Amino acid sequence: MTFPILTSLIVLPIVGAVLLFAIKEDDAHAATIRNVALIVSALVFAETLLLWSRFNAATADFQFVERHAWIPAFGISYFVGVDGISLFLLVLTGLLTPLALLSSWESVHKRLKVFCIFVLLLESAMIGVFVSLDLFLFYVFWDAMLVPMYFLIGIWGYDRRVYAAVKFILYTMAGSVLMLLAILGLAYMHNTANGAYSFDLLRMYALPIPERVQFWFFLAFALAFAIKVPLFPFHTWLPDAHVEAPTAGSVILAGVLLKMGTYGLVRFAFPLFPAAAATFAPWLALLAVVGIIYGALVAMVQPDMKKLVAYSSVSHLGFVVLGIAAMNTQGMQGAVYQMLNHGVSTGGLFLIVGMLSDRRHTRLIAEYGGLKRVVPHLVSAFLLVTLSSIGLPGLNGFVGEFLILLGAFRADPRMAAFAATGVILSATYMLWMFQRVNYGEVTNEANASMPDLSRREWTILVPVVAVAVLMGVLPNIFLRPIEPSVDRMLALTQRSASFRAQAARSPERLALPNRGVAARSPERLALPNRGVAARSPERLALPNRGVAARSPERLALPNRGVAARSPERLALPNRGVAARSPERLALPNRGVAARSPERLALPNRGVAARSPERLALPNRGVAARSPERLALPVRGPAPHSPGSARLSAERRVP
Amino acid sequence: MISSLNAIVPMLCVTAAGLAAMVAESFRDPGERMPIAGLGIVGLVGAAVATLLLWNHNVSSFGVVSADNFGLFVTWILIIVGALSIAFSGPTVERERLPAGEYYALMLFAIAGMMLMATASDLLIIFLALEVLSIAVYVLTGIRRDSAQASEAAFKYFLLGAFSSTFFLYGIAFTYGLTGSTHLDRVGSLIAAQAMAPTPMQLLAVGFLLVGFAFKVSAVPFHMWTPDAYEGAPPAVTGFMSTGVKAAAFAAFARVFLTAFEPLRGDWGVILSVVAGATMIVGTVVGVAQSNVKRMLAYSSIAHGGYLLVALIAANDVGKGAVLFYLLTYAVTNLGAFGVIAVLDNGDRANDRVSDYAGLWNEHPGLAALMTIFLLSLGGFPPMAGFIAKWYVFSAAVKAGDNALAIIGVLTSVVSVFFYLRIVVMMYMTSSSQPLRFPAVPKIASVALAVSAILIFYLGILPTRVLDWAAESISTIF
Repeated sequence: MTFPILTSLIVLPIVGAVLLFAIKEDDAHAATIRNVALIVSALVFAETLLLWSRFNAATADFQFVERHAWIPAFGISYFVGVDGISLFLLVLTGLLTPLALLSSWESVHKRLKVFCIFVLLLESAMIGVFVSLDLFLFYVFWDAMLVPMYFLIGIWGYDRRVYAAVKFILYTMAGSVLMLLAILGLAYMHNTANGAYSFDLLRMYALPIPERVQFWFFLAFALAFAIKVPLFPFHTWLPDAHVEAPTAGSVILAGVLLKMGTYGLVRFAFPLFPAAAATFAPWLALLAVVGIIYGALVAMVQPDMKKLVAYSSVSHLGFVVLGIAAMNTQGMQGAVYQMLNHGVSTGGLFLIVGMLSDRRHTRLIAEYGGLKRVVPHLVSAFLLVTLSSIGLPGLNGFVGEFLILLGAFRADPRMAAFAATGVILSATYMLWMFQRVNYGEVTNEANASMPDLSRREWTILVPVVAVAVLMGVLPNIFLRPIEPSVDRMLALTQRSASFRAQAARSPERLALPNRGVAARSPERLALPNRGVAARSPERLALPNRGVAARSPERLALPNRGVAARSPERLALPNRGVAARSPERLALPNRGVAARSPERLALPNRGVAARSPERLALPNRGVAARSPERLALPVRGPAPHSPGSARLSAERRVP
Repeated sequence: MISSLNAIVPMLCVTAAGLAAMVAESFRDPGERMPIAGLGIVGLVGAAVATLLLWNHNVSSFGVVSADNFGLFVTWILIIVGALSIAFSGPTVERERLPAGEYYALMLFAIAGMMLMATASDLLIIFLALEVLSIAVYVLTGIRRDSAQASEAAFKYFLLGAFSSTFFLYGIAFTYGLTGSTHLDRVGSLIAAQAMAPTPMQLLAVGFLLVGFAFKVSAVPFHMWTPDAYEGAPPAVTGFMSTGVKAAAFAAFARVFLTAFEPLRGDWGVILSVVAGATMIVGTVVGVAQSNVKRMLAYSSIAHGGYLLVALIAANDVGKGAVLFYLLTYAVTNLGAFGVIAVLDNGDRANDRVSDYAGLWNEHPGLAALMTIFLLSLGGFPPMAGFIAKWYVFSAAVKAGDNALAIIGVLTSVVSVFFYLRIVVMMYMTSSSQPLRFPAVPKIASVALAVSAILIFYLGILPTRVLDWAAESISTIF
């Protein structure tokens, strides 16, 4: 029995919350409360790092899997696991929670104990969302997470906190309840197909879902996630929630909660409903691009720093969705990477805005100016985080945005072109804000005596900046574990959607495609052109009758025009190439031959070097898993194995 | 001879306790304090033991009361309802100077009636039980005789209730005329044997019974009495009737419509679907506009009735189990919420307006936390029981293909969250300028509240066992 590391990650914050509950709340114990909360969250972070160190980056499978029956009558289990996509989101959650707690040390005095309890409960629910591999469990964490966040905004927020908190919870719930229905629908489809209920995500991946149903289920899932992301036009809750939330709330909200929307798209909506995803991906991409530009433009005119950063999140998350909707490796890898980047840099921005607002109790850009002279250390950290948010090469933001644009370009160059303007716009609004806040003369007297970073604030900012640089300089240590998992999700997303759906609806439809027609009117199959034959028999006999009547020579000599213009084109089709470089026609692979002659001679050289037995026994893996598949490749279109359905269908359908 | 009484032993225990309470009251000197509530608890414990012993035995008495697992599960819910209601009644009875003996006796008689209703397998016995519990509850509603509002509420409740009882009786009469029997099994087999297309007489019979039940479970459009009665009654009584009456009525509703009138489901299913949709929508939408917490919870209880109807209409194994699980969850949760209201009732001040809850967190953090748990559970948040219950109901609807009802259900539950959160906002996010207004919390009531909260988390996090029981219970009759 191995140590249940994921469960311990979920439970540890709850244990911390219970510990805090037992501490008496008064001024004398304030330091104890802070330390307990901080230590617990730091332990969680350490544990996520431990998880990373133990993580096997070579495989796409879920690791550290735990599975226990929970509600067996409905096939619901406590089923958790981590792959490359969720691994770093866990690490990000682990990193941001202690930072968020630290950032609130000076600003939260009212009801400190309850505040820390809610932050820890929130952390537990967030971890739960990222590790759940059971749809029911996922939904439980997804909804449970709303409650602590609601209280964090509503109790410790700014002036319009109640409005913002209620809006936050209602928007998110309205989206997610329909997802609950879709989850239930999936479970019942699993029951119909396999005779047992299940909410197991991995089984759901293999479940054949009719295309029409996919359409609705995808919409239900995508709505829930689009609201959470938030994708334009579902973003209106975000600026309110961000602006009114306390610093810790904003950091967690921007850093982790928004990622749940994009994570949900990658993990659930796209791979579960590939056919619908293929249909809707261009529309999602369009909304994402609108969001990128709209968010950037609105951010530009904000007088309030927090609101500016909030709208910049709309823009940046648009990039993430664009990458996902591109449905190729670069795009999706970039999207996953950009989720982490956004967590670090926007989290960092909110932390810095929080520090300024702790000092001056205002977040209006106009209230500041010339801070560089007063608080140089804070400003240099601010600059680094700003540049990382813009996407300067060498810092984290660049890698993600570059990959996403690359992927988007492959999917649809127009989208990439419009999205790229977002990069410029983000430089505009961020740098303009930075300039107004930090450069020039100190115009406001109150700013002149601002203290620079305290030791606590150093502790907060150093990790943020260090991670931003690390992710910019060495992206591969993050991308390598992500890659296999992304490829796996993509493979699921790109399954031949139509065949899968057809096979699900009725296997015999594949075998006898025109069954229905045959039943209704057998003569239609036998004499397909019956109607035409009835109306004008000569049309069937002489299909080109009209052409023949108009210009008989067109039928006799189809290439007559070309022949007239340049007779030699018909005779020597490759004449141009021959003229420019005669050897290209003679030796088509000349270039490869020149660069590396052995590639032509031994095309599978690389595979041979890595694993010689793969060349010798290509189907080795299949043979190991199920020998009968090799022996009987076409065993019939069973509903559970769309792959074999496809194979056999391809042979039967001419 | 004695063994033929087995099935009604739980009712006998409760009735005996009620009679004992009346006798004790008559021997009480004016001003003397007597633990009459304790008698009720003793009776309930007796009933609980009897129920436990009867479990799985499927006995019946006189051929009209059958203690099958379905009825016993509801009996269990009613015992919990009774125990919690008695625990919450203490402060009210004392503060309002209500006649303790009569109060508890009426409550116990009502519970006995509810138990009978849950286990009766004959339409006439169901009617008898309905009257026993209704009359007791009418009186409890108006037990504060000096309060004009309470008297008005009781009178309204009584008039409309009597009216609906006649519908119910008509329904029984028509059924008897059609089939020559009032026993559910016979009615069911005779209706099934009759013509394929339902006759107008059958439809009339079903329609009348439907109206009678719809009134008792306060389904739209027969819900008008609910807000007034809930607001006028003392909070402990409101909690009692909003959960107990609903549990008993739904048990009988399910039994009558899913056994005797099952062959006509194609006809009543359509009508009931419309009723359920309207009930959920009216309950939540009107609930948003309320400024009195009791009225708000009255509309919330109407909406919850709608969810129960959704499970009933689905009529599959999941739906039947969902009715039971939902009734249990709803009973514990709603009683908890009314328990908090009862505890906050200050004699001269009811403290039942939403604005009265401002700053409760500062004065009674524990009470505010418990109220939050109850409200979030009513709203259907995990990991509270309300989530599992709603999930169960919507599973049933999705399984039966009632997608429209499921969608109305989830969307109205989002709207309902809005008004539950209004109270939370008041308690946590609004500060009050008024000085201490809330009385101290009596021990028994706070223990009962804590028990409710623990039950809610238990049912929300580890529901497996109770779900299995619910599934077992329905397998005995349907």
